Amino acid sequence: MKELSIKHFFDLCRQRFVLSIVTDPGSMDKKIIEPHIHRPGLALSGFFDRFPYQRIQLLGETEINYLQTLQDDILYDRLNEMMSMNIPCFMVSKGLSVPSQMEFIANEKNVPIIVSRLATEKLYWQLSRFMRDYFAPEQSLHGTLVEVFGVGILLAGRSGIGKSECALELVERKHRLITDDIVKLKLQEDKLYGMATKDIGHFMEIRGVGIIDVERMFGIEAIRKECKIDIQVELMPWRENMDYERIGLTNQHTELLGINIPTIYLPISPGKNVSVIIEVIAMNHILKTYGYDGAEAMQRKLAEEMQQKTRMRTISGNLQEN
Amino acid sequence: MFRKKITVQNRLGLHARPSSLLVKLANKFRSDFHIRKEDMTINGKSIMGVMMLAAEYQSEIELIADGVDEDYLIEEVEKLFAEKFGED
Repeated sequence: MKELSIKHFFDLCRQRFVLSIVTDPGSMDKKIIEPHIHRPGLALSGFFDRFPYQRIQLLGETEINYLQTLQDDILYDRLNEMMSMNIPCFMVSKGLSVPSQMEFIANEKNVPIIVSRLATEKLYWQLSRFMRDYFAPEQSLHGTLVEVFGVGILLAGRSGIGKSECALELVERKHRLITDDIVKLKLQEDKLYGMATKDIGHFMEIRGVGIIDVERMFGIEAIRKECKIDIQVELMPWRENMDYERIGLTNQHTELLGINIPTIYLPISPGKNVSVIIEVIAMNHILKTYGYDGAEAMQRKLAEEMQQKTRMRTISGNLQEN
Repeated sequence: MFRKKITVQNRLGLHARPSSLLVKLANKFRSDFHIRKEDMTINGKSIMGVMMLAAEYQSEIELIADGVDEDYLIEEVEKLFAEKFGED
């Protein structure tokens, strides 16, 4: 399970959420283990049944005002009980200041209180979004990710089949490389995104040549850091008795992180220009998303022609009988 | 050389799906395979060719095979037509 330490969170989001910390910096070793955010209204009023203590506790103006109306001993009891439960942190919106007693207990219990200057609603949404992205399911796989005419294409297939060489040819044709060899997949808002596992630049291994730097060689327009994955193309050696797709009316899929990605099994044989085929796959995908399917169109035209001929046949048959 | 005339039995004719089944089957054999309809002769191992025939219901086509397994090829193809490509 992924986790995010308060310190790391603070460093990542300090500017975005205009954060400052109220408690001792020592409290920042705590870890967030859940992406959800909770507004602890009921807990503050004393109802602790099923209190989701492992979530970030967000306090807005209402909660802070409520705390200020409480008598000192009740305030102490409630906050003490809450903070005994291993809360990852309190977030306070609008740059509000917390009651001094709360600050005291927090320091004692080692619970960080982080103040943001953003309004409560805005903070809530942006924070949820950040948390969801950070805790999004991930997976790494062997492959090369390229963007062709704006379509994200994941090139898969066994080592040495020519994924890198294919990507290189595409880059030369003014398409873009995202990553070679290892692709990190990430699920965001029900869409699959791919990126490099490490942000160290766009290097690539070409058999017989060694490592090359694609960005240096082809320029900034040849690369991209991440992109949405639309299609997977599985490169495979040509085999005599394998059923390859001939028409394109049936679609195959591969499941990645629970998302079905259309998959094309592309046989490779010497003299075949794979990069041109990849371009065609990308263009065909665009046509399909715009509602035009070439295979279907041809099928429709043929069906019309055959229907007409059948009709003519029945008419002439009837005439002969009479 | 082995020739045989047959009639298309399935109501929808040789549309995309039957064509692909036919081509897949034909490609399993070593013999050359052609199909003639009226004055058009095409290679029976090429999907575009077969689809371009637009052979409708009850039209007559001629299967032409040439090679070591020609009779076997025709037999299998005939079976596929008789089964109406699993349609109707």
